[in-house]
Amino acid sequence: MRKAKKVSCVSCGKEALEKNEIGINKKLLGEQVESFYCMDCLADYLGVSVQDILDKIEEFKDQGCKLFE
Amino acid sequence: MKVYADHAATTQLDIDAFEAMKPFLLNDFGNASQPYSFARTAKAALKSARATIASCINADPEEIYFTSGGTESDNWAIKSTALIYGDNRATITSQIEHHAVLHACHAVERMGFPVAYLPVDSQGVVQSDTLSEYLSDSTKLVSIMFANNEIGTIQPIKELCEMAHSKGALFHTDAVQAVGHIPIDVKELNVDMLSASAHKFNGPKGIGFLYIKKGTNMVSYADGGAQEFGMRAGTENVASIVAMAVALEKNCKRMDSVNTHLVKLEHRLIASLQDAGLDFIRNGSNNKIPGNISLSFRGSEGEMLLHRLDLMGISVSTGSACDSENTQLSHVPEEYAKGTIRISLGYENTEEEITHIAASLMKILKH
Repeated sequence: MRKAKKVSCVSCGKEALEKNEIGINKKLLGEQVESFYCMDCLADYLGVSVQDILDKIEEFKDQGCKLFE
Repeated sequence: MKVYADHAATTQLDIDAFEAMKPFLLNDFGNASQPYSFARTAKAALKSARATIASCINADPEEIYFTSGGTESDNWAIKSTALIYGDNRATITSQIEHHAVLHACHAVERMGFPVAYLPVDSQGVVQSDTLSEYLSDSTKLVSIMFANNEIGTIQPIKELCEMAHSKGALFHTDAVQAVGHIPIDVKELNVDMLSASAHKFNGPKGIGFLYIKKGTNMVSYADGGAQEFGMRAGTENVASIVAMAVALEKNCKRMDSVNTHLVKLEHRLIASLQDAGLDFIRNGSNNKIPGNISLSFRGSEGEMLLHRLDLMGISVSTGSACDSENTQLSHVPEEYAKGTIRISLGYENTEEEITHIAASLMKILKH
């Protein structure tokens, strides 16, 4: 089985971003995004709190979005 | 700053409408169908509300049937016509109808009756030429929405209705996005049925009405008690009906001033986005519901825009350019279509809020 490519945060370098971090980047920056942020850096970039982003993830999970676990 | 800019989805309950509900929720809770004096206030309120709503659309009170909202009204109009004329004559509708109409039509097809779905032009308008291609003596019902929920385009209802009648067909319009927002005169339009939903014009959710022109044959929606002239059984939701009437009357009285305000806000938003050099298309025709702004941004994604705006405190909707059932945006170039959002303004939106929406879009799209 092919291993999923490990993705690092483009801002702080945090390695091996989690599935939910990848997913929320795609949702908030666009499906074609090539550079990903960790949760903290994404919140900083967007000018919101980490909790705001976590709330968004829960919304997507409630909608059945497969990008999240 | 929190900005609600999704009034085509739902609107805030008007405070006077809310106050009007209270007595019927608390003290005057009598069942309007009962014969005793305790029911008198509820009965009178029901009668008054029906008359008020009728006057707002130039109908007669006995032509107003209260329902649970637009979806019920649409289903009733479409399925009743299919059943009552149980022949093979077709129902004609458009491809851009709300799902309440489209799925009711799908149900009619499953019952074994034919349905045709008209395409629209590049501005989302059902052209009379198109209808005439499909219309024949074998048509029993034409159902075309008054104003589209996605792009706000207003259809030429009077003209389309005349065509339907010329072939002996009934005409129904889903006017959910139009009632309370633009002038509607059912006698002048000569439609046979018209659907409306209170929560789209600052009334409560869960209540609406179906206008049925006198003399139109209908199958009853629900059988049981004699409410709604024996056509839609069920104890009346007097509180919501009263609120709906208050909200509609208020909206109709201030319609001109509100629409002037909304058009001004629209122009301000579009000008701001153009001045910022953003690459976008405004969808729909020039004849649209004031305040309905469908925008397609090149190279963007509607869902991403919706959620980013949400994080900035702004509530909008996406346009469903990617939805294969949603063809009113099929003429939008591919590189723009996916980046479609719908901003739908209401009377309470301000210029300051428009500035915030424009600034937020610039921040997202120019970063």
